[in-house]
Amino acid sequence: MTDTSSIMAKKRSYGGLSTGTVAPWVICTAILLVLPYVFQSNSALTIMNQMAITIVFALAYNMLLGQGGMLSFGHAVYMGMGGFMCMHVMNWVEYENIPLPLPLLPVIGGLFGMGMATIIGSFSTRTAGTVFAMISLGIGELIAASSVIVVAFFGGEEGVSGDRTYGLPVFGYEFLTKIEVYYLTAGWLVLSALLMYLFSRTPVGRMANAVRDNPERAQFLGYSARWVRFYSFCASGFFAGVAGGLFAINFEILTEENLNLVTSGSILLITFLGGVGFFFGPIIGAIVFTLLQSVLSLQTELWQLYVGALFVLTVMYFPGGLAGVLMMHVVPYKLGKLGTLVVPYIKTLIPAAIGILGLASFCELMFHFKHAAVGEHDMSLFGIEFSTHSPIPWIVIIGLTVIGFWLAKRSSAELRETWGNANVMTSSKEGGAQ
Amino acid sequence: MTAALELEGLRKSFGKTEIIRGVDLSIGKGERHAIIGPNGAGKSTLFNLITGRFPQTSGHVRLHGHDLAGKAPFEINRMGLSRSFQITNIFPRMTVFENVRCSLLWSMGYKYSFWNMVSKSRALNEGAEEILEQINLSSRRDLPAGVLSYAEQRALEIGITIAGGADVIMLDEPTAGMSNTETDYIVGLIEKVTEGKTLIMVEHDMGVVFGLCDRISVLVYGEIVATGEPEAVRADQAVQEAYLGAALEAEH
Repeated sequence: MTDTSSIMAKKRSYGGLSTGTVAPWVICTAILLVLPYVFQSNSALTIMNQMAITIVFALAYNMLLGQGGMLSFGHAVYMGMGGFMCMHVMNWVEYENIPLPLPLLPVIGGLFGMGMATIIGSFSTRTAGTVFAMISLGIGELIAASSVIVVAFFGGEEGVSGDRTYGLPVFGYEFLTKIEVYYLTAGWLVLSALLMYLFSRTPVGRMANAVRDNPERAQFLGYSARWVRFYSFCASGFFAGVAGGLFAINFEILTEENLNLVTSGSILLITFLGGVGFFFGPIIGAIVFTLLQSVLSLQTELWQLYVGALFVLTVMYFPGGLAGVLMMHVVPYKLGKLGTLVVPYIKTLIPAAIGILGLASFCELMFHFKHAAVGEHDMSLFGIEFSTHSPIPWIVIIGLTVIGFWLAKRSSAELRETWGNANVMTSSKEGGAQ
Repeated sequence: MTAALELEGLRKSFGKTEIIRGVDLSIGKGERHAIIGPNGAGKSTLFNLITGRFPQTSGHVRLHGHDLAGKAPFEINRMGLSRSFQITNIFPRMTVFENVRCSLLWSMGYKYSFWNMVSKSRALNEGAEEILEQINLSSRRDLPAGVLSYAEQRALEIGITIAGGADVIMLDEPTAGMSNTETDYIVGLIEKVTEGKTLIMVEHDMGVVFGLCDRISVLVYGEIVATGEPEAVRADQAVQEAYLGAALEAEH
């Protein structure tokens, strides 16, 4: 074992780009290019733009949370400030005829976000942990409150709005249509994600991980934990500002909502849901959350309840987030045992899905029963119409829920056993699964 | 010739309790020096004072003739002093290789660079591989450091400590909690990696101390009661009364 791996270590080459690292980027870029041809409707484009902005923001946030171990409760400030600045610049471009092409606007947002982060970070990054979290919360509240005080910059309650189409046309594009904005946003998404990934591979990016794991040890290796945190914080502020600039371009309006604690809280939720431990975690989180927010909210008024439940369950049972759940399967895959999991998964997850849908239906039924207009007894779930005042739907829904969960629980033992087997080597060879 | 490390009238109090009560010690370049003493004598506190983890109450610490007063740990490290900890202190969620590579970054001049890719530097990566080879952890290269066995983690910590090329190495109980074979292994490792460097260690295992070190200081209640060659210290009446006797008693 030792001999072979030391030979492998000697063969390892440095500096070259391997297909393993380049391929995901190429594939994702290709998907981004093709997506508008698959989902052509205007609302789909809106959702995808929203998604791209959230991904940039979540990745920026994870530079702090996942990479640097800093829990911020006020990161909307940097995105919001970048966005507000971009709105003002957009208006100056319109009134003063400044020759600034629109695609460069996010750079300004980024620089402004970074400027803010430099100021705040200069004192907040002294320690990580509770002190940092509390300062971020305080600053978040402070800036959100100043939005109604400093009206010249934040525009008071109605916010600041503008028109993106007055910038210098780029190759004839004036960004009148959604699709043009989509490609602009997607371009920035790929660029920022790539830069953030590369940042994590630089000495200061590596040391961010080291400081997260053990700030004291990092100090005894010649690095000041505070400076390492500060650099991460500034870089994160830059990309949050870029996200703000993209938001300004897309929605042409920024309000207090972009700065407040709700936005700060949801980016924490998104990042955690996706998984803080992996670079791509926040991307998954942003996609899932935006879909839930936009698609589920059209279906039900209770969508926030479901998102909240999902978040709590993720924190409790899968602290690695959705990315962690995906990456759990790497070991079985490497051992060639992924196939053995398929049947137990079907046996457990389908009843579980029925149980969950049953439970959700019960919530919907209850909500309708309690809150529908007086005399309004008819509701529809999954295309089936029924009366909430007849006992049959109640019995069916409760029955399905109980049976679903019971079946899932019964087969979960088998799943657990198969999972255990799939994670260990059957032969006596050393290495691999740990 | 200036000493590698010189302590002069070093004192430390926590509140009214004086833990270090005036330590004077001079350790020459290339010397292997052990600090021994009963539990609570202040050995770890002394280490923490030297490395800037705590500020001293009074007195001086000089590294190659430079006073370390008011310097932060990272500044002291940059001046060529590196230490390990009594309780294993590594980066548990990073891979073994990353642990070592991070400890090479500063000494290789990368500082807070965000324009270099760590994977592109041949010197950096080969340097890290070399250290892994030295501490025999090449086969554990890609595992998270937190899953290693205790002895392996201790070896890794020694690797991290020496990686930056510091010429004064301080090890705080490197063999604590180890079996005999593990201890022999770690002692061999320490001997190998500190070749030509100044080594200062706190150690409980007398076998280790007498075998490895050129000189020994005995610290009792915050004061050094004896300093000298192992044989001289072993024969010293005051030491036997104050410490070795007690240590022998404690073993029974």
